[in-house]
Amino acid sequence: MKRLQLQRWSSSALSSRARTGGRLQRHLYSSNRFQSTNPTPLQSEADQSFAEEPSIPSTTTPSPKFTKYQLPSPPIQAARESAKLAALHARLYLPSRLPLETLARCLVDPSADSNSQFNNVPLAVLGHDLLTHYTSEHLICTYPRLPLTVIFAAMFAYAGPKTLMAMAREWGLEHAAAPGGEVDPGFLQFKRVAPGTDTNAEPLIGTTRPNEDQKTWRKSITSSVVYDNEFGDPDMAGVPSSESSESAIQTQYTEGVTVEQASASFVRALMGAIYLHAGRPAAKRFFEQHILSRHLEIANLFSFNQPARDLSRLCARENYEPPVAKIISETGRKSRHPVFVVGIFSGQDKLGESVGASLAEARTRAAVAALKGWYLYSPLNVRVPSSMEEKGAAPWKPVYVDLGEVIV
Amino acid sequence: MPLRGIRTVTTARNGVGAFILPCKRLDFHYCDWAGSSRGMLAFLKHALPKFATENPQIEIRVSPRPHKHPIITGHYINGREKSICVRNLEPEQIFVKANLLKEASGEKLKRTKKPVTSINESVRGIWSPYHGGLKSV
Repeated sequence: MKRLQLQRWSSSALSSRARTGGRLQRHLYSSNRFQSTNPTPLQSEADQSFAEEPSIPSTTTPSPKFTKYQLPSPPIQAARESAKLAALHARLYLPSRLPLETLARCLVDPSADSNSQFNNVPLAVLGHDLLTHYTSEHLICTYPRLPLTVIFAAMFAYAGPKTLMAMAREWGLEHAAAPGGEVDPGFLQFKRVAPGTDTNAEPLIGTTRPNEDQKTWRKSITSSVVYDNEFGDPDMAGVPSSESSESAIQTQYTEGVTVEQASASFVRALMGAIYLHAGRPAAKRFFEQHILSRHLEIANLFSFNQPARDLSRLCARENYEPPVAKIISETGRKSRHPVFVVGIFSGQDKLGESVGASLAEARTRAAVAALKGWYLYSPLNVRVPSSMEEKGAAPWKPVYVDLGEVIV
Repeated sequence: MPLRGIRTVTTARNGVGAFILPCKRLDFHYCDWAGSSRGMLAFLKHALPKFATENPQIEIRVSPRPHKHPIITGHYINGREKSICVRNLEPEQIFVKANLLKEASGEKLKRTKKPVTSINESVRGIWSPYHGGLKSV
């Protein structure tokens, strides 16, 4: 209904002059724009400046036969008139160098507008890389001994789509019922999934993992470092866009996305937009204020299967004496509620201690406490590698790097 | 697999990093005819522009509500809303009510009994009868 090929008329109504104010963005737009409208794809800088001249009068007189009801997403001019958008900009304390037009573009999901010059895909790609980069370096430097599965879970907790959706909701972001050119640009624009759609029905194809169709094959943690994404999930970004057919992309966008996907892509795009417009320090500050300030108890992310075995393997690897469980104190052994306090000792050193209702339970809990004490080691005053990007940073001292988790 | 990671979501702590004002929208409704809106009309004419400039993070909507008393409605980021009827109030009193809605968290009013509410675990820990000065019977 509202689908319209923007390329046909974009030179008249939305030339590069009418786009957002940022110099970098304008440059990006103009290069793409003239490649698409000109018969000769490759031009020098001087030719582009010549080509820009005739398009100036056309920006002032947009073609009247296209109304905003036919646009897939709100036009650029609507961003300055939206109270909702300005309020969102002020509520998030976004830098003033980030224009409202870019914020409006961050709110356009590819399911609403498939043209990548108007939706948030390019910004979201950049923002996702920044978010995961900052999160991973923070986690690895702060907790150098964390096992990889726990790092994956912590990455998901800090920068995963569920958290990003919760953040967007806590920012007071509202969703448009349906995307369109007449909608207030302060709403999140995306096409919703039809009710009753089973989102887990389609099989995963197109991942970077070889032999992905073999469901019964074991997937090791080491292989997920190579093939999976930063959350330990199958990585769908492996297929280059040139290989996948245009029709497949179109069907993916026209099917709609969930609120979680759309909100997450908005937060990622906002991070990328802050990086582009306000620079790296502002993006880092935004990350620290909004992502890193959230509360996460990393000790609760562990789920051990056989902690006593892990602990004995760990002691063997670290050349400690083999761990021995000893009863420290007990009460009511013959009663209905016995309580045992068991400590795990390696020679003279107590590695962990815990309470349980049976001897086996107390021993397992003590082993878990000992393992958590090892894995959750955190050095003081740790610096992350990206702190070296600031001007006048102190010389880099190598951070502590651990051998890694115990392999059993 | 010997050790698995459990997937959770981080908890927001508004104000620890950035502070997001919970009030996201204020709706001002008035009536052009009725006398109970006289103070509201004066407020909208003279005080509201200044109020709006001082609080750019709040979206402000003004709309008529004919043959009804004037009200102010606040919409909050937790999805709730609060309304206050400002009939026959002076502009200064309406300003106080608008400030009240601006500073509200949007939650239901409830009595706080504990001096501290925190999601951090206790520094001192839970008392255990099996540690410390054990008495032999």
